[in-house]
Amino acid sequence: MKSRGKLRQVCAAVLCVIFAVGLFAGTVSPYSYSKQFRERPNATPSLSHLLGTDSLGRDLFTRLVYGTRVSLLLAPAAALLATLIAGILGGFAGFLGGWFEKLILAAADLSMALPLLFVLLALRAVLPLDISPVFSVIATFMLVGLLGWPSSLRVVCAATRDLRNADFLLLARAMGCGRWRMIVRHALPNLRPILFAQFWISIPVFVLTEATLSMLGLGVMEPLPSWGNLLRGLEDISTVSANPWRLTPLILLILVVICFQLILPTQEETA
Amino acid sequence: MLVVLCLAGGLLSASLVRFAPGYDVDERELDPRLSPASVEAIRNAHRLNSNLFSYYGHYLARTVHGDLGSSEWLQQPVSSLIKERFPVTAKSVVFGVLLAWGMALAISLASVFFPGFFFEISGTLVSGLLIALPAAVVAIFSVYLHAPVFLAIAVVTFPKLFRYLRNLLTHAHSQPYVLAAQARGIGQVRILFRHVLPLVSPALFALLGVSLSLAFGAAIPIEALCDSPGVGQLAWQAALNRDLPLIMNLTLLITLITVAANSLANVATERAL
Amino acid sequence: MPSPMKKKLVLIGLLAFALPVRAQTGGELHFCLHGEPKTFNPILVDDEASENIRYLTGGVLIRLNRQSQALEPALATSWSISRDRRAITFHLRKGVYFSDGTLFTSQDVAYTMRLLMDPETHSPTGDAFRSGEGAVQVQTPATDVAVITFPAPIAGLERLFDQVAILSAHSPKKEMAVLGPFYVADYKAGSYVLLQKNPNYWKHDSQGHALPYIDSVRLDIQRNRDIELLRFRRGELQLINRLDAEQFDRLRQDNPAVTRNAGTGLDAEELWFNQSQVAPLPEYKKAWFATKEFRKAISMAINRADLCRIVYAGYAKPAYGPVSPSNHFWFNASLEDPKYDPQAALRVLAPAGFRYENETLKDRAGNRVEFTVVTNSGNAAREKIAAMIQQDLSQVGIKVNVVTLDFPSLIERITRTFDYDACILGLVNTDLDPNGQMNVWLSSGENHQWNPSQKTPATVWEAEIDKLMREQAAALTEIERKAKFDRVQQIVAEQQPFIYLINKDVLVAVSSNVVGASPVVLNPAGFWNVDTLRLGPSPELGVQK
Repeated sequence: MKSRGKLRQVCAAVLCVIFAVGLFAGTVSPYSYSKQFRERPNATPSLSHLLGTDSLGRDLFTRLVYGTRVSLLLAPAAALLATLIAGILGGFAGFLGGWFEKLILAAADLSMALPLLFVLLALRAVLPLDISPVFSVIATFMLVGLLGWPSSLRVVCAATRDLRNADFLLLARAMGCGRWRMIVRHALPNLRPILFAQFWISIPVFVLTEATLSMLGLGVMEPLPSWGNLLRGLEDISTVSANPWRLTPLILLILVVICFQLILPTQEETA
Repeated sequence: MLVVLCLAGGLLSASLVRFAPGYDVDERELDPRLSPASVEAIRNAHRLNSNLFSYYGHYLARTVHGDLGSSEWLQQPVSSLIKERFPVTAKSVVFGVLLAWGMALAISLASVFFPGFFFEISGTLVSGLLIALPAAVVAIFSVYLHAPVFLAIAVVTFPKLFRYLRNLLTHAHSQPYVLAAQARGIGQVRILFRHVLPLVSPALFALLGVSLSLAFGAAIPIEALCDSPGVGQLAWQAALNRDLPLIMNLTLLITLITVAANSLANVATERAL
Repeated sequence: MPSPMKKKLVLIGLLAFALPVRAQTGGELHFCLHGEPKTFNPILVDDEASENIRYLTGGVLIRLNRQSQALEPALATSWSISRDRRAITFHLRKGVYFSDGTLFTSQDVAYTMRLLMDPETHSPTGDAFRSGEGAVQVQTPATDVAVITFPAPIAGLERLFDQVAILSAHSPKKEMAVLGPFYVADYKAGSYVLLQKNPNYWKHDSQGHALPYIDSVRLDIQRNRDIELLRFRRGELQLINRLDAEQFDRLRQDNPAVTRNAGTGLDAEELWFNQSQVAPLPEYKKAWFATKEFRKAISMAINRADLCRIVYAGYAKPAYGPVSPSNHFWFNASLEDPKYDPQAALRVLAPAGFRYENETLKDRAGNRVEFTVVTNSGNAAREKIAAMIQQDLSQVGIKVNVVTLDFPSLIERITRTFDYDACILGLVNTDLDPNGQMNVWLSSGENHQWNPSQKTPATVWEAEIDKLMREQAAALTEIERKAKFDRVQQIVAEQQPFIYLINKDVLVAVSSNVVGASPVVLNPAGFWNVDTLRLGPSPELGVQK
């Protein structure tokens, strides 16, 4: 699958470039993301404003670049949190089995049934008001991460269950290895590729969750930009046909998610 | 087990609503035309639901008799609201899932029987593209294109379904005995129906369960944004208005469906093992 | 040209001449409600959707003509108010029937008032009539005379009857039997309300034809404004009552004939600081918000012209007080409009101990001036206003954080816990008469947002406002009332408890085949004259609606 490997390299390169641009946002764009150029709202792209300006006159290119920083740096953090929780809970559930596994799976089902958006709404309202925008963004992503473990849990649990009957564990048991030691030294390390795959899949999911939250008005605080924030500009479709450059955040989002997907090793390769 | 889970779900969501900020306030309090006595009366009406456990107990007792309570926000009995709106959502979800399955099956079968870089990459690209669209964006596009709601649901469900389905079919197709059957000259169609499908059918049932609960979950933001008069929009509005009776009933309903779908998945997986 | 074609053209030409001469009667007017109507009982109405339905179906004794802003006889042919302003006598129209055929008499008026003033009802309409302790008496000396006596005089009494839709005392259909131009024929929750023409409507046009001209009104329940606009462009809807400024602007560029700007409205957006004594805020913050100079300086540092230009695309005017300039009688025109001047703002702050150094503003004790503004999520205009105020105030060294909360959480913070610094909300003014705002201006009022429900007035100026409001309610002439309320406006301008930002224009979209539409500033802007609207032919030749 040589072409697949090449494709993977291209995707990795694209992701690295986008990541770097987000990281060094300050050098890439000359303006601040909150500065309102009030004499030119809704401007068309020009040399001074590469993607034009939004309805308040803020440079869209700058906001896109800083928004990349928010989305691409925080989504992996949230994904890491969710995967860790799923890994620990799923690992123990799958390994110990019995009522413990049933309990954890039931809890997962329950949290999937709860209206996630409502929980986030409630949790955000409880946060104190006088926190900085940066902190509120971090808090939002942490909340999303804390609530995102159920979907990964099932996969981890199923994988651990398979692992439980694996040969090398049988051998370890025969050699008198303690239960705790088995879990920590033998089972968990073997879960690593699965956890990594889940982590990788979760990143775009969390980017999208944040985008949906912002589109419903529950996302990051003004004036901090994020991709979700910028996608809100699409809510009014008729403006988009007049200003097609407003689709750039969506295109960027799609590009990033596709790259993440293509990099992931396929089923045939892991089998 | 199902029943216990549903009851727990209802209680959990009820406590969530009850203790979330903004529970016992009413938008009407901001109306300057109301006298202080009226404002006090509005506040007292909300305070009646203080003790959560007794409220839940009474609610369950009433439910047994078929009385699901009355919505505070809409001033209508919950049962009639759900009866009116559920068919709308059910229709969208069922058609959406059928459409997604149809598309996913078609493309994955094509990529199995015509293996090659083209189908694989284009399949991944299309599903990657669709999975990257937030549900909200899909909803907006479907409104703009005057498309029915089930199309939006299908678009949101298709990508994840397609991935799993394609992996499943590819894995089954690459089994040694399929190769043997091919070597013996058995036609592709016959191989598909007599060898591949029976193997994957438990997993397919599992996938069906998962896709149903996925579609149902996606229905909430999609209906809310498309203004489609279904259960999803009702749930979102109820959450925004802190309507406790309505939220409890809807969570019970959604939990019931999700857990039923997942149990189907569990049972099917266990039978396969 | 072949002759059948020629004949067709001649025919179409003739039709084209014929059509504009007489617009059709009949047809269905199709527009949207922005929320679910909670009730069809006119007594219990307290949300916008129900109010719209009440306007379309309810018959009232006195109608406020939305265009001339004068009172007109409706179901009452004449009325008189007693010398002590406690009683009002109505002479009712004879020979009027409800939509189901029941005769309209003074007993229906008595029944309606009794229901309205029932202490258990708690309707906003009824509460407006509550002037003092004691019951409201209604006498019906004849079938066409009703005398209503109140326990205490009420200011602006006649205007209040515009909101009272008369219910039938005897009809088996209860509140579904109506006296207005339409009645509710069908209702599908979450979907639509269908109104049919009331065959017994009392009003006739100058030629004696029965009104309304339109056969039915279909009201779809549509929360999403973008979808509504889309449907209007497609021709599915004929009217949008109250458009957003951006949507209006875009529609105007494509099709100016359908857009109507009725002028500056009565609604205002305002910012206020939390002055509640029980607020869980640090003392130094409470001290800032209680300082008059602080509030005045903030008002001077906000660029209202930019807000109008950018957030509302120019379809708004800066507001400096509680009364909109389009409320001609009550607006205090003698007050000077402050200018946008950040330097002057800093000069005002200096004597109060605030120092501007290194681009930050610090108070006397050295604390950096920083606060959080809350507003409700889902309102794009308000969020933009908050973002613009954030930048404006950063020019004077003040750091503003903006938090958007869902509405119930927001209400909890501003009415129960008082855990907020500042809030931006809009005031919806349906009434020209400031007497309806009593609960806002009285310091004991629930809606005295910056410090509600005070036991005794916290400041001298709030005590003065209390006195003035009570005096204007008891005053005998309108001129006296205006003088008192002018003084209230002056105090508000000096003290800035509410920092008023803008007054929005009333923007309506009307399809060109609706004949007779003339949107106005008062609600309902687009269809206040629904009984005289006609649906004419579409602009395309030969197509009839």
